[in-house]
Amino acid sequence: MNKKRVSTFFFLLALLGISFVLANLAGGSELKISKALYYLFHPRASGIERDIIWQIRLPRVVLGLLVGAGLASCGVVFQGLLRNPLAEPYTLGVSGGAALGLTIGVVLAASGFYLPLFSIAGALISIFTVYVIASKRQFSNPALILGGVILSFLFSSFVFLIFSISRSEDVHGILLWLIGDLSSTETQLIKIIPFFILPGIASLLIFSRDLNILTLGEEKAMHLGVNSKQIKKILFVIASLITGACVAVSGIIGFVGLLIPHFMRRFIGVDHRFLLPASCIAGASFLVLCDALARIIIQPLELPVGVITGVFGGIFFLGFLLKSKRWEIF
Amino acid sequence: MNALEVNKLSCGYGAKEVIKGVNFCVKEGDFLGIIGPNGAGKTTLFRAITGALKPWKGNVLYKGNDISGIEPRRLAREVAVMPQILEVPFAFSVEEFVLMGRFPHVGRFGTLKEKDYKILEKSLQLTDTASLRNQKLPELSGGERQRVILAQGFAQEPRLLLLDEPTAHLDIAHRVRILDIVRSLNKEFGLTVIVILHDLNLASEYCKRLLLISEGRIHKSGPPEEILTYKDIEKVYRTIVVVEKNPISGKPYILPVSEEERRRKRD
Repeated sequence: MNKKRVSTFFFLLALLGISFVLANLAGGSELKISKALYYLFHPRASGIERDIIWQIRLPRVVLGLLVGAGLASCGVVFQGLLRNPLAEPYTLGVSGGAALGLTIGVVLAASGFYLPLFSIAGALISIFTVYVIASKRQFSNPALILGGVILSFLFSSFVFLIFSISRSEDVHGILLWLIGDLSSTETQLIKIIPFFILPGIASLLIFSRDLNILTLGEEKAMHLGVNSKQIKKILFVIASLITGACVAVSGIIGFVGLLIPHFMRRFIGVDHRFLLPASCIAGASFLVLCDALARIIIQPLELPVGVITGVFGGIFFLGFLLKSKRWEIF
Repeated sequence: MNALEVNKLSCGYGAKEVIKGVNFCVKEGDFLGIIGPNGAGKTTLFRAITGALKPWKGNVLYKGNDISGIEPRRLAREVAVMPQILEVPFAFSVEEFVLMGRFPHVGRFGTLKEKDYKILEKSLQLTDTASLRNQKLPELSGGERQRVILAQGFAQEPRLLLLDEPTAHLDIAHRVRILDIVRSLNKEFGLTVIVILHDLNLASEYCKRLLLISEGRIHKSGPPEEILTYKDIEKVYRTIVVVEKNPISGKPYILPVSEEERRRKRD
């Protein structure tokens, strides 16, 4: 690993630490920053202010770290497998599929451990569908992105359909949550979600060398000794599992998987052995910072974090479209 | 010993049979050129040999074993493949790209050792790409790119090298340069080479043996002097040519004859 990479990793880790502390200090309640800092580093203290930090803010920040890392790593993997830098859980409609799966799960009154299984199933079905559509058009940008957008429309229509015909109280909460929100109060869900996301990311890291080679295409990868079809399937399943788990706790948070890998490629290069961990760290920092911003920007109200990432991502996406040459898009 | 054996091979796409019962053997250390007109099935045959396309009938044996039954990583330690088109969507550096050729030896969990870096250096040196090592793949010219892909193939330390039109879209100097490298791999390292070539004169100059393919079948095979006769070329390519001898190498070379000249001759 060269010097530039080492220093980039140091920078990213420092950024992660700073984001973690900052995100814990930001919030709607009347809690002085100095006090918040004190309680953050003194977990054994008592009182309501300690509880605000340790029971409300900290779990939310940790959730943000997990989801940010998860979405960014899925972006890297989808881009590598589909050989397209615009692929990510949101643009491919995988998040939408997971959301539909989850909505169905809620209507069927599934809970706890079973709920993420519904969103993971939704994610798997949609990545399979997008893959089949795009493979007929050589995975070109329009095929992938249009396919993803159309699927997203379709899925959200189904979600609204279910929303309209269902009288269940639970379903109504879904509407806001669809925009992407980290303020989930389902503590039971928050406790089990790391067991999906962390092993998922770890197993993606194992395949980073295969992923490098798979970007050369299925056939060339096979000639270099990668069992392309098998490894592709494994990676799609793991990435869907992570996306599904992320959507189950935080709804559809768009563009993290698009923005983060794009910038990380510039700083750390395209080798997935470095790109994947760097994107995880950067994605985690980015999402908790966005969430902190969402909490303080229109005080005393809170925005869903999906609005913030949507604005950043949308602007970037537009810029990309305007800047790129015709052949890059089509 | 035969490095490669193709037995009664038939294959194609969808319902269309492209290769119709092809038999041939390639001895170790051979330099075989596959030639034939557009649509004759050269690339289809090539993909079947590499194992990318499953045979409908017959089989392809590498050192006596059916190629479709050999695990990809084991095969990649023996056979390197350079496809006609290789799109690299991400900006890998030349060094990173060539080191991918070490994957079959190193695997998923192994670390690159001194030996691997030695082979990297040798690959870069042989293909004259050492000065490009930190450049990104999209920045390279066509000729540089092909040399880098060749370097990756050499880094696999293969015994058999399969190349599908490695000189397409290159100017004459770069064509010669690429094939000179391939010839040195064949001569100095004893690699068996199978190469599809469009340019008949290059095929004549570099290949020890030629396989002339026509409509999915082998029209004729043998040394260039026996294959590149005006009769065979005119029959398979359906165009008039004149075959002369290259005054330097003594190999046959082919001159095209235009419609206008043909008419003038007739009158």
